[in-house]
Amino acid sequence: MAEYESIHGTRVRYLTSDPTLTDSSTEGQVWYNSTSGTNKTLVQLKAWSSGNNLNTARRASGAMGTQDAGAIAGGQAAPAYVNSTEEYSGYAWTAGGNLNTTRAFVNNGTVGTQTAGLTFGGESNPPNSDLGATEEYDGSSWTSNPTNLNTARRDLGGAGIQTAALAFGGTSSPTDVTESYNGSSWTTVNSLNTGRASLVGAGTQTAALAIGGPSTVVESWNGSSWTNGPSLNFQLDGGAGASGTQTNSLTFGGRKPPGTTLVSSSEQYDGNTWVTTPSMGTARRELMGMGTAQAGLATGGFTPPSFSAATEEYNSNLTSGTRAAWSAGGNLSTARYALAGAGTQTAGLAFGGYSGTAMVPTAEEYNGSSWTNGGNMGTARYRLAGNGTQTSALATRGFAPSPVSQTNITEEYDGSSWTGGGNNVITGSSSCSTGTQTAGLNWGGAPNLSSSQEYNGSSWTAGNTLNTGRSGSGGAGTQTSGLAFGNTTDTETYNGTSWTSVNSLSNSALSGNGALQTAAIAVAGPGVTETWDGTNWTSTGVSVAVPRGDGIFVVGTTAAALKFGGNPPVTNSTEEWTSSTLATTASTLTTS
Amino acid sequence: MALFIYGTATNTGKGFFTAEDRRAFFLRGYPADVWVVGNNEKGATWLAEKNGVEKTKAEAQALVTAEVQASQAAWDALPAEEKTDMNPRPTDITLP
Repeated sequence: MAEYESIHGTRVRYLTSDPTLTDSSTEGQVWYNSTSGTNKTLVQLKAWSSGNNLNTARRASGAMGTQDAGAIAGGQAAPAYVNSTEEYSGYAWTAGGNLNTTRAFVNNGTVGTQTAGLTFGGESNPPNSDLGATEEYDGSSWTSNPTNLNTARRDLGGAGIQTAALAFGGTSSPTDVTESYNGSSWTTVNSLNTGRASLVGAGTQTAALAIGGPSTVVESWNGSSWTNGPSLNFQLDGGAGASGTQTNSLTFGGRKPPGTTLVSSSEQYDGNTWVTTPSMGTARRELMGMGTAQAGLATGGFTPPSFSAATEEYNSNLTSGTRAAWSAGGNLSTARYALAGAGTQTAGLAFGGYSGTAMVPTAEEYNGSSWTNGGNMGTARYRLAGNGTQTSALATRGFAPSPVSQTNITEEYDGSSWTGGGNNVITGSSSCSTGTQTAGLNWGGAPNLSSSQEYNGSSWTAGNTLNTGRSGSGGAGTQTSGLAFGNTTDTETYNGTSWTSVNSLSNSALSGNGALQTAAIAVAGPGVTETWDGTNWTSTGVSVAVPRGDGIFVVGTTAAALKFGGNPPVTNSTEEWTSSTLATTASTLTTS
Repeated sequence: MALFIYGTATNTGKGFFTAEDRRAFFLRGYPADVWVVGNNEKGATWLAEKNGVEKTKAEAQALVTAEVQASQAAWDALPAEEKTDMNPRPTDITLP
């Protein structure tokens, strides 16, 4: 019998506790946990398996609960609408109490539990009319709440629990109306950005997702307003199912618009991106979903011309940690904008800029919590370019005073003082730099210049031109592996010789930075943050808290970035970017 | 129900608003230490914990406008050579 070492190349590790399993790169690891006395492994298990069928095949019912304690109510069972409820034990479906109002196309998305459920809206049995009726389930019977939705509708999204729910979207004609339920009445709150029907909800009253509709659009609700977040990989329409939370969600099935193609695929969301996961055995639309992203349940649906009773269970050991966010960092000593910077989130450097009344020569150093003054540049200036590290930075070009004019001056910082470097071959402002103090790359500038220049630690030489001229852009990477983005949606990579256009940003107003060509982060004033993985930009759906439309600077990477300064008006605000996190759970190896 | 709570609070730097806060409720900062937060329990608790002073929307807007007008006056007083396209005059801000 082959030994593990001869197959894998390493011996089985002997550990007192399970290691930290952060992502799928640790898939396949095997170790012995001496505390539990078991052999353990990380198997990235994601799979759908069959459950027992519904007693009544149907579509567009209300859904509540979990994979092993779920329920559905109402729906259409050809051709009539029904008011019956079925409860799932994790094994079989049994009859529950009947809805007081027979209907279908009610809230799509898990709301409440098997013993404390909620159903609202929908469409009455033909002749059809849109409903606002709200009913609460106690595990055996439904009670009508005398207070209806303010906007009667069908094909709407839903999220939350029986005493704190959220209703959004839907149709007579597609609507963006969102309503919040407190257990007794509905209140109209801030609308979806995109009005639509046939969407599905996930999450809670204060942290929900509105997924799909006839699009890839996903919107995220923070308790007050909706923000567009990362999009689905595939367009979904026709009432896909969903389970999970705002940052750890699963969506499955539906219809691929335009047309009538049914969907069997599923996508899992970790708070940052949607990843395609295994497909269900039965493609269908207007199905019901419940549970979590790790233990989801899909049941019923429409497979024209018939209705489905099929039940499938999804299981995954990939769990989500936390959603990305910008949080407060220490304030700059000198409020300023159009400044430059270098370094990382925990060893950052800010220099130059404009205070609102004067050009700033000061450098400030960040230690992960506060800024302290460093050395002053020889030439105060703003709209300059900067790159390097906290102890080995490079400043070039910009507007200099006395008289105010554009400059080609370059200065080098050693962690305490600035000394003159070789003058840039281009005089101008609003350019961008990346790389190191001895291998720097500078490009662009006002008015949308396309030139690029390379620095060797003492002098600048001309490089090849960008495909798209740009001013005030963001940059990342090194002199031989650079990335230029922002000011325009066009993104370009540099290989040390030439620039190549690659996939675009979605927002031209974005600029930013990144230590790696494959891990850049782009930030706009009021807009959302986008991250670059080396191939694509992804909208994170996360905005800064102190937006400024001009002259911010960003250092760091997609994992940990720092944003500081900006205008108007001038601010000393600093914010720190924390990326989303993933975690996985280990499986115990058994013999069989 | 109003969508937002308006108030003033001094940004004390690191930890003033955390990643957890940002995940829990709407939060956005404006000039004059004006903060707009989601009108829910977590948003209200955050403002109270920061020794914030709740304002009406009109009061908050007046504070922001005064700060912006001061910035505009400072810009107006700059020498003509500094009033370039690269140093634009601060624009008005309207709270959500």
